[in-house]
Amino acid sequence: MQIIRSPEVHPVIVIGSGASGGMAAWNLTRQGINVLLLDAGSRFDRFTFWTHVQPWEARERHARGEHPPKFFLDTAEQPYVTPPDRPFALTRVWGHGGKTNVWGRVSLRYSELDFKAAVRDGWEIPWPISYSDVAPYYDRVEQLIGVCGGTDDSDALPGSKVLLPPPPPRCGERLLQKSIQKLGIPVVAGRRANMTRTVRGFPPCHYCGNCGAGCDTASFFCSADHLLPEAVATGRLEIRSNAVVARILTDDNGVASGVQYFDRQTGAERQVRAKVVVVGASCVDSTRILLNSKSARHPNGLGNGSDVIGRYLCEQIRLNHAGYFPALEGAPTRNDRGIGGAHIYMPRFNHRSGEGRDYLRGFGAQFWNTGASASGAHGGSHQIPGFGAALKTAIKRRHPAWFEIHPFGEVLPYAHNRITVDESRTDRYGVPLPKIDYRIGENERKMTEHMADTVEEIVRAAGGVLVGYQRGQLDAMGSAIHEHGTCRMGAEPKRSALNKFNQMHEVRNVFVVDGSAFPNASEKNPTLTILALSWRATDYLAEEFKRGSF
Amino acid sequence: MDPSEVRLLKRAQGDVNRRDALRTLAAGTIGAVTSTTWVESLSALAQAHAHAAASPVATQGWAPRVLTARQNTTVITLTELIIPETDTPGARAAGVNRFIDGVLHEATPPDRDRFVRGLAWIDERSTALFGRAFADAGVAQQTTLLTRLADADNTDAGDRPGVEFFRAIKSMTISGYYTTEIGLRRELGDDGRLMLAEFEGCTHPEHQG
Repeated sequence: MQIIRSPEVHPVIVIGSGASGGMAAWNLTRQGINVLLLDAGSRFDRFTFWTHVQPWEARERHARGEHPPKFFLDTAEQPYVTPPDRPFALTRVWGHGGKTNVWGRVSLRYSELDFKAAVRDGWEIPWPISYSDVAPYYDRVEQLIGVCGGTDDSDALPGSKVLLPPPPPRCGERLLQKSIQKLGIPVVAGRRANMTRTVRGFPPCHYCGNCGAGCDTASFFCSADHLLPEAVATGRLEIRSNAVVARILTDDNGVASGVQYFDRQTGAERQVRAKVVVVGASCVDSTRILLNSKSARHPNGLGNGSDVIGRYLCEQIRLNHAGYFPALEGAPTRNDRGIGGAHIYMPRFNHRSGEGRDYLRGFGAQFWNTGASASGAHGGSHQIPGFGAALKTAIKRRHPAWFEIHPFGEVLPYAHNRITVDESRTDRYGVPLPKIDYRIGENERKMTEHMADTVEEIVRAAGGVLVGYQRGQLDAMGSAIHEHGTCRMGAEPKRSALNKFNQMHEVRNVFVVDGSAFPNASEKNPTLTILALSWRATDYLAEEFKRGSF
Repeated sequence: MDPSEVRLLKRAQGDVNRRDALRTLAAGTIGAVTSTTWVESLSALAQAHAHAAASPVATQGWAPRVLTARQNTTVITLTELIIPETDTPGARAAGVNRFIDGVLHEATPPDRDRFVRGLAWIDERSTALFGRAFADAGVAQQTTLLTRLADADNTDAGDRPGVEFFRAIKSMTISGYYTTEIGLRRELGDDGRLMLAEFEGCTHPEHQG
């Protein structure tokens, strides 16, 4: 097929329109820089979201042949490769806004414990930045996207003065909070990008709790609603949909000259030129693009003379336990939908004295699905023995009493946990597929033990009963959907791919602004930090443009 | 992203197949560890189906796609025994048999066959014990047989197919019933309010810190 080459040289091409790419496009265009934004999908129309569709209505709609927006990329269209004995549950959203359409919205500031972890324990490389570098950007991002939370401030979770009021806890969350605090572990208000007040003209959260279906009122941050329209309004943003980027092109000097992509609808190959390329396709896809961008000057993938790109893939380990509080059985059913996730959060505590831990890094805990489910009986109801009126009564009595505990723990960056491109396996465009080889090690196993001890202590202190409990049973690898590390920033070009402004050491007109830039995963949810770093990196890029560097 | 939400949405999107359903179970749906594969598989599919799937819901002109009329009657009888009418309607009124037929329609042929064989097993056992097929037996007789199958301590090898089958249909019944308007709103007492100005949260003095 004929390759369509466009002669125009765009000042900046941004790849991906989620948290990282959307932020880059928004921040560059408002500073007067023209951007061509390539997204592998198209717009999801939020007026067609099934935000308020009840389960029985969903079945009726399906029976009529209707479907909600298809957010998740089908592996039949775009497979990825894993070793047969090491599955990895990769979740990808191709389309405007990417995963921010359906993200969990947990918005936690990283602390010096995260940025300086490697300084303290010597495991791999530290971030080339400190909390003080990022703090002003956290302030700006939180105000821009509307994060609710409390007034707490600690060495594990730095405070913020710009948060919106948090929703009060549900009954079960109150019990958890009270009991965990009795153990000497602080529990704070959850911080989530649900707008509990009007923000920039977007209506506040209405507490339907079904955020996972996408928000039809745009009351939680989604790049497609909260960043892209403003960027388009500047007149400086062109969004090209269904542009599946394959490679970043380079000139004879190894400098990036543009991008090669395939039209997802026609399969046609296209090439577009740019002075600067900003990569924000999410960790795995950005890494795939970089590794596939081989040339004489970059035989190991773009900017990968150090051979770090693709390595150090780190996600998180997570337990997922459920139980009930006998004290809440038989209580009247309340509307516990809230902001569609936990209203409390247990920040990391294991760094404090007296914990006697035998592993590196730490974990925090979330508590989703605590309270009366609004989408059917809680899954634990299936474990109640018997049948008949007694079963029906037991399910109803237990309905308001369910709680869940989900400790999230950091997985260390290991060189052998890596994404490679499999030349023998290609997608429909002939582009090599990403191969993900990921496993946890001894440090994570020890951490899991501490996580399990903590779960058991909490449940004991709170007077709860665990149901279907299997100690230390971790969720599937990849299921935290927090991939990091495969294009990490660092002070030393031999050990990192990016400098402290997310700029490639070896290719100065390429920036990588998504989670792949993180040297380590932390136990926290990364999106707030991705937004802050993408803002910071593109501030730097805009300055460089003004200075005539590009 | 809360995986619970991702799972629900993947279901709503219709991306559910047996492998996904099993992965869902493996990734944290509570329990079912002791179940055999086909029971797990159908249970997971039913939980997925509860939030999506093309089950016919028309009140008129419905006909089962998988079950025979006779099997459908047995399923109605069984589901109503599992979640009976009390001060609120039971599984029969909520149309759980239709839900189950829809799940079976989507199930793999082997899983579907296991379920149908389970129905046959119930009838055979009922006939052996009471001289009548299950749906035609008296309520006391039906209850006697189900009590035996629901007994966690029942290790009788001869009952095993029935025990497995009961676990599957019970799980499917719970998934179906509580995702109907009858089950969620009338029985569980969900107020169905999807637009609140403020979220009140817990107001019980005894729960406060």
